[in-house]
Amino acid sequence: MQRLEFIGRFARNRGALIGAVLILVVALMALLAPLFFPVDPLRIVGQPELWPGEDPDFPLGTDSLGRDMLSMIVHGARATLLIGLFASAVATLIGVSVGATAGYFGGWIDEIAMRAAELFQTIPNLIFVLTIVVILGSTLANIVIAIGIVSWTPIARMTRAEFLALRDREFVQACRAMGMGDFRIIAGEILPNALPPVIVLSSLVVAGAILFESAVSFLGLGDPNVASWGRLVGDGRQLIRSSWYICAIPGVAIMITVLCLNLIGDGLNDALNPKLRDR
Amino acid sequence: MAGELASPAAPPRIARGSSRRAAALRLLRRRLIQAVPLMLGVVVINFVLIQLAPGSFLELMTAENQVSDPATIELLRKTYGLDDPVWLQLVKYIWALMQFDFGFSYRQNRPVIDAISDHLPATLLLMISSITLALAVGVSAGVVASVKVRTFWDSLVSVAAMFFFAAPGFWLGIMLIVLFSVKLGWLPVGGMMTIGDRSGAAGGVLDILHHLILPTLALGLFYAAIYTRVMRSSMLEVAQLDFVRTARAKGLSRNQVTISHVLRNALLPVVTILGVQMGTVLAGSVVIESVFSWPGVGSLLFDSVSSRNYPVVLGIMVLGSLVVIAANIAVDLVYMWLDPRIEIR
Repeated sequence: MQRLEFIGRFARNRGALIGAVLILVVALMALLAPLFFPVDPLRIVGQPELWPGEDPDFPLGTDSLGRDMLSMIVHGARATLLIGLFASAVATLIGVSVGATAGYFGGWIDEIAMRAAELFQTIPNLIFVLTIVVILGSTLANIVIAIGIVSWTPIARMTRAEFLALRDREFVQACRAMGMGDFRIIAGEILPNALPPVIVLSSLVVAGAILFESAVSFLGLGDPNVASWGRLVGDGRQLIRSSWYICAIPGVAIMITVLCLNLIGDGLNDALNPKLRDR
Repeated sequence: MAGELASPAAPPRIARGSSRRAAALRLLRRRLIQAVPLMLGVVVINFVLIQLAPGSFLELMTAENQVSDPATIELLRKTYGLDDPVWLQLVKYIWALMQFDFGFSYRQNRPVIDAISDHLPATLLLMISSITLALAVGVSAGVVASVKVRTFWDSLVSVAAMFFFAAPGFWLGIMLIVLFSVKLGWLPVGGMMTIGDRSGAAGGVLDILHHLILPTLALGLFYAAIYTRVMRSSMLEVAQLDFVRTARAKGLSRNQVTISHVLRNALLPVVTILGVQMGTVLAGSVVIESVFSWPGVGSLLFDSVSSRNYPVVLGIMVLGSLVVIAANIAVDLVYMWLDPRIEIR
């Protein structure tokens, strides 16, 4: 019943609903990519630099080497979404652990954790990501970890605030009185109650992570084995005079995905905080 | 300190002015002290990255041109104490950085600090112009949307803000180049000055401004979108507060209230966000600079990254953090000026 109400509140936000539907389409596209386009997207299949609509076989045209743009976009969705999700998972894991520990224990642990958050906010984020990737190597795992490392601070602050508000509530005191250990109280009792606003924030972190990844790939520092959307924009950069659509199309894909994730975040926020809904 | 000097008998206006200056100085001192552990943290992270890197520190510092001169290698070995235990290496590293010794860039054949400080002004120019644009556009669009709330204008502003909030800056930059440089031919494709420009100092400034327009748009519109959203909701929130009703009740017109009462208070969240995002703006300029061949720190970073010139990369990270800390202090002072009630948080 409560869940239905929640979904109802979410769906009342039309933008959020459209965002959710579109993201679902992108996710399905990513999942089913090999079904629609069984051929390796990086294989040359036609004439180079065919404009969208010029050849019905290639609705989005071909790139400078004659590779199918549509196939590359669909396959690129996999890389882009996966990196976004994993990086956000890393950020959430770090952020929730740090924030929960800081908020629950307070005192000097809190002080250290918040100074650390400040530190990671001080280092210019993309420069940090590039430095990590350059020094440790341009692999998918390193990129995901690097983005996670620069994205955890808002989640930690949010988790900490929730824990501060919850840690002295009756049900927690009851657990303490029963002699329950700190870890069990944190993970089993407080965390489930603290999670909803954190989840909202995570959806925004996915959007941010996708933008990070696209910038890294655009600069040519992405994993060379992965054709993400950012890399496609970077590849098309040399041809803006003759065939600017090669840059434009993957950029539109990034923008729509990020836009939808932001809309979903807004919708979740409204649904979780009905008080703020009418703002 | 200066606050204590103001005698109680002094006219209230002067006392207020000098105590505010004293408060600002106190804030400045406190922030500077807080900056020390922060910088230390940045340096330690740097050091950890160096230790994590495959290959030795020596290889990292000389990776560029395969320095094979035994005397140079011996010098580096001595400077950074590579035969010492790790903790002593860290101490020596910190000591070197405190003297602004960021190592030597063999590619440019000059100290890293010189290479970076040559590129810093261009980046600061781009940052300042983008933030100015973002504030001007964001604040005015937010005010328009909030004054005309739930009208066509409000929706238009919201949709535009959503669009620019989701568009990757580098892509927006390329699209701007396609439209304004390639198709229309109005603005230069990239660079900061026209090569061989001989129009004198005034012409030179105009020339730079001409080159500055597109990169500023590409970097600034993202932040303009954020400030628009924040400004709109903040204006709507402040407009409901009691003091606004009081101002209206004492006979001020709606415009007067909006400008002199609501606007000033609604700006506070925008300033807060501006401070938090200083590092992001600097980082964002890295990508934008590479799109527009803007000769700033971003271009240097990109070159250094491609050629694995680690000392420069690490130096940019440290100096970038320093710029962020300085900018944050400046933002705090602005905040205090806008809202005298808040002294030090």
